[in-house]
Amino acid sequence: MTGPGRPRAVAGAATLRAVAGAVGMRAAAVLLGAGCLIWAALPAVHRGYATFVLAVTIAAVAAGGLRLALATVPVPDETYWPSPGVRAWRAFLDMMRQVPWEEGAVIGIAWLEVLHPSRPWHTAVLGAGLIAYLLVVHLAESDARLATLRPQARVLGLGAVVLALGAGAGMLPAAGPGAGSALLRLVAAGALIAAAGLVLPYVARDV
Amino acid sequence: MIPNGPGSPAAGTELELRWRSSRHARRLLTLGLTGLFIAILARRPEFAGLAAPALLLLAAGRARRRPPRITVRAKPTTRRVFEGERLAVDVAADDVDEGSVRWRLHQGPEVAPVGATAADGRQARFVITPERWGRRQIGTLEVTLRDRWRLAEGHATMTLPGLDCYPAPAAQRTTVVLRRLPNRLGEHPARTSGEGIEFSGVREYVPGDRQRSINWAASTRRGRLQVNTFAAERSQDVVLLVDSTSDVGQPGSSALDLALRGAGAAARAYLEARDRVGVITYQWGGASWLAPALGRRQVYRIIDSMLASDAGYSRGASFARLPRAALPPGALVVVFSPLLDQRFVEALRDMRERGFSMLVVDVLNTEPPARRRTEDRLARRLWRMEQDAIRFSLRELGVPVVHWDGEEPLDLPLAAHTRRPMAARR
Repeated sequence: MTGPGRPRAVAGAATLRAVAGAVGMRAAAVLLGAGCLIWAALPAVHRGYATFVLAVTIAAVAAGGLRLALATVPVPDETYWPSPGVRAWRAFLDMMRQVPWEEGAVIGIAWLEVLHPSRPWHTAVLGAGLIAYLLVVHLAESDARLATLRPQARVLGLGAVVLALGAGAGMLPAAGPGAGSALLRLVAAGALIAAAGLVLPYVARDV
Repeated sequence: MIPNGPGSPAAGTELELRWRSSRHARRLLTLGLTGLFIAILARRPEFAGLAAPALLLLAAGRARRRPPRITVRAKPTTRRVFEGERLAVDVAADDVDEGSVRWRLHQGPEVAPVGATAADGRQARFVITPERWGRRQIGTLEVTLRDRWRLAEGHATMTLPGLDCYPAPAAQRTTVVLRRLPNRLGEHPARTSGEGIEFSGVREYVPGDRQRSINWAASTRRGRLQVNTFAAERSQDVVLLVDSTSDVGQPGSSALDLALRGAGAAARAYLEARDRVGVITYQWGGASWLAPALGRRQVYRIIDSMLASDAGYSRGASFARLPRAALPPGALVVVFSPLLDQRFVEALRDMRERGFSMLVVDVLNTEPPARRRTEDRLARRLWRMEQDAIRFSLRELGVPVVHWDGEEPLDLPLAAHTRRPMAARR
């Protein structure tokens, strides 16, 4: 079909696709956050302020999702004497945009995970989920496409390897009872990260 | 429709970039530090693994080169617009090898964006519309350069150039013409005979008359040669007198808004009729002026002159001592004023007594607020009576006063004076 109607239809479809993509990315961010939270919180524990941390983390994940949903809502213009409703709305938008909700959610989820006894493979999956959560949040807030992450693929792959090795180190039986053995494993994990850091310039080159 | 700017590219401005970590980087750092902290405190190496991807991303992103400055070209498609007209600001970034650029426009006062105020890409276009006349600042442009991994952001701010926003002229097609016109070629039919095209009468032939002007029908009837006579075509001097002392009413339809719009419309209408048009802007006893002249450009000179005098205090010559160039004898003076300043009214009376033909367009469309107290109602009534008395006294002096609400074309209130030449009473 040709004629003046065609470009408008294509433009409309492109806009619809862009909106659908943005909504999908925001939904994915919220779902990933909620998934990580559930993954770290279950089974429920009742020590180390677990209930309080769980409530705060749920609020942080929800507020992070709300922040992404309100990202395109314009702040009302400055007026000489705004109405209380406008002032409240401005304050709400400012609070939603200034508070680092995702950082709070990450700390809360890690806290909930550490309250459980050691389960290295579980923590590794959580680590993958958390890094995915942060990347998707970043894509959603900057309205970027998934292809934006392509240059970081090698580094992310290296990170995944280190994550798996860290989990493996956690699953290794202790050389013996006592604090020295755990510390030894920790030093080994640190050495692994350092080794990955040394490899990094070669992996990150030309990406 | 947005006017296209001239073809020459805008000169680039080099801006210093202030680099800082992006929000994404801060989140990754939080994850990395939390994982390491827990790994050390709880002695659980799997948490060090949890921290690893975030820390590796940060370390890899940190190693990348960040340009210290960026060259930005910003150019509005035009620097002169009328109220409500749209113009675009084209922005482009040079010397960007990698990474992405984000633009954000912070518009200036009385300037409204049309569409988005943020855009991504090395080039972008923002469409704006100035809402009210005056010298306006488009605003500031915030440039954010993100590195390729979006872990760091370089910020810079650039002030966009200003623009002249002209008052949207009202509609006016007809013109007020004086009965006595100066002896200068123009388009208004004068009372004297001449070489115009408007028929004025028939007279007896005298030697030297052109043969083609013989009226054969009249010659046959009278038995002697008769010739047609035509009205001479003359032009007049028109001086627009704008009272900028009182700006009362709602912004956008205040007395000064209407005065400037009306003066713009009158300038256009009289210049199209080949009259010489000038302007005097009255301000608290002082005045700035532009001598009458011809031509299409004079419209813009007049509006520029009115905008330049929008300072709210006296500048330029004293109103009582304006030179002949500003106020030529025999000129038609069209006044746009709310008639609130008593000194201005006195100045009008003085001008009338000096023999100028004047016409006042009253642009006052507001009143003191209506309140319920008796004293307030009485004051309001007194104010109205005073205003009526001012207008009555001017009419008594032979100065017609017409009211214009700013909505209807100026031709309607002026209709009584545009139908026939205006007598210049002395």
